Amino acid sequence: MSLIVDGTTGVTFNDSSLQGAAASPYVLKNRIINGDMRIDQRNNGASVANNISGIQYSLDRWLIYGTVASKFTVQQNAGSVTPPAGFTNYLGVTSSAATSVGAGDIYEFVQYIEGYNVADLGWGTANAKTITISFWVRSSLTGTFGGSLLNGSSNRSYVFSYTISSANTWEQKTITIPGDTTGTWLTNNDTGLRVFWSLGIGSTYSSTAGSWQAGGYYSPTGATSVVGTNGATFYITGVQLEIGTSATPFERRMYGQELINCQRYYYRFNPTSSSSNTLGSGFVQDSTNAQILHFFPVSMRTSPTALEQSGTAGNYAIRSTGGVTTCSAVPAIGDANTNTSQIQLTVASGLTGGQAILGRAVNTSAWLAWSAEL
Amino acid sequence: MIYKILTTNIDGQTIYARIDDDGLCRLTCTEDYPEFKAWIEAGNEPEPADE
Repeated sequence: MSLIVDGTTGVTFNDSSLQGAAASPYVLKNRIINGDMRIDQRNNGASVANNISGIQYSLDRWLIYGTVASKFTVQQNAGSVTPPAGFTNYLGVTSSAATSVGAGDIYEFVQYIEGYNVADLGWGTANAKTITISFWVRSSLTGTFGGSLLNGSSNRSYVFSYTISSANTWEQKTITIPGDTTGTWLTNNDTGLRVFWSLGIGSTYSSTAGSWQAGGYYSPTGATSVVGTNGATFYITGVQLEIGTSATPFERRMYGQELINCQRYYYRFNPTSSSSNTLGSGFVQDSTNAQILHFFPVSMRTSPTALEQSGTAGNYAIRSTGGVTTCSAVPAIGDANTNTSQIQLTVASGLTGGQAILGRAVNTSAWLAWSAEL
Repeated sequence: MIYKILTTNIDGQTIYARIDDDGLCRLTCTEDYPEFKAWIEAGNEPEPADE
């Protein structure tokens, strides 16, 4: 193994990867969460079509957006091709139509990175650090593709481009981007940095690649439009964003660790029993209502303001000393903070105020979820 | 999709139910929920609670 130690550039390994900083680049170096596309709490491998709400998530941490609904689908391991060596999953985009992209249209997927996780980049200062993005990509189309980096206010952009040379073949791409020495880049629990991949961007939001500029741009001008071809595919995995001027091997994280990383932004409780899954303990408020408390597995980014559930009241029940009573209304959100959520359970009648109770999911169709996405 | 007032919770907070196009409620929220706020800012009003 060759190893070059240089006082100016750092340590270069025999695969040409460079360690440019004193801090180890091999532990917690990747600022992208779920870059290997393993976690899919919301859809569990099912396909979803883009809508136009602007805050639609597919695989964990990966937001999809399209100006017009139902122009593409996203699915974990869509098409069931063999992922690149060392990976088991990928995010698969499939175009649903031959869509003409208007000047103001946007079709893309993106990861929002929390400011805490990029604070050390020093962006917006004279000490802004260079980063390198690497990923594996495979498409039925060839040509020039692109994406961009943006700050949370969409007034600083760096458009990047890359080439896919062979159709239906995994290719690894590496893009090195100098740090932005100007602009506002948040370093708190709000949006610090956004990384976009273009699936079809209109001229209003396209620009020249390769330099920082004011404004919000998502794609290089003239890039290939995935949504422009019905049935076109675009698969991606192994996404890494790290400090330095070259890509190092993808950071492998334990499954549980990455799941926790995802659950800071979205947490879904999935029952495993077909009859009894305790959601939390609590007390009876009056003859029809009870309150239970559910603990999150990790502190969420912010206090959730909504509770998602299956939509069927009969999937939930209250266990008291009097027996099990099926709910007559779906669970409703109560007071929530970054660590716990109160949940209101409602039945038709028969509860005794002040009793201690357990809330239950009574089948595997029941679930609860909270979001604190950026 | 619409929002409807669901209840006032034990802490005095108004809780809203999102009613999807198929009539099911798959989400409840407070007035601080970003999608609800955007829906209100778009000129919509939540329906009153059931009697």
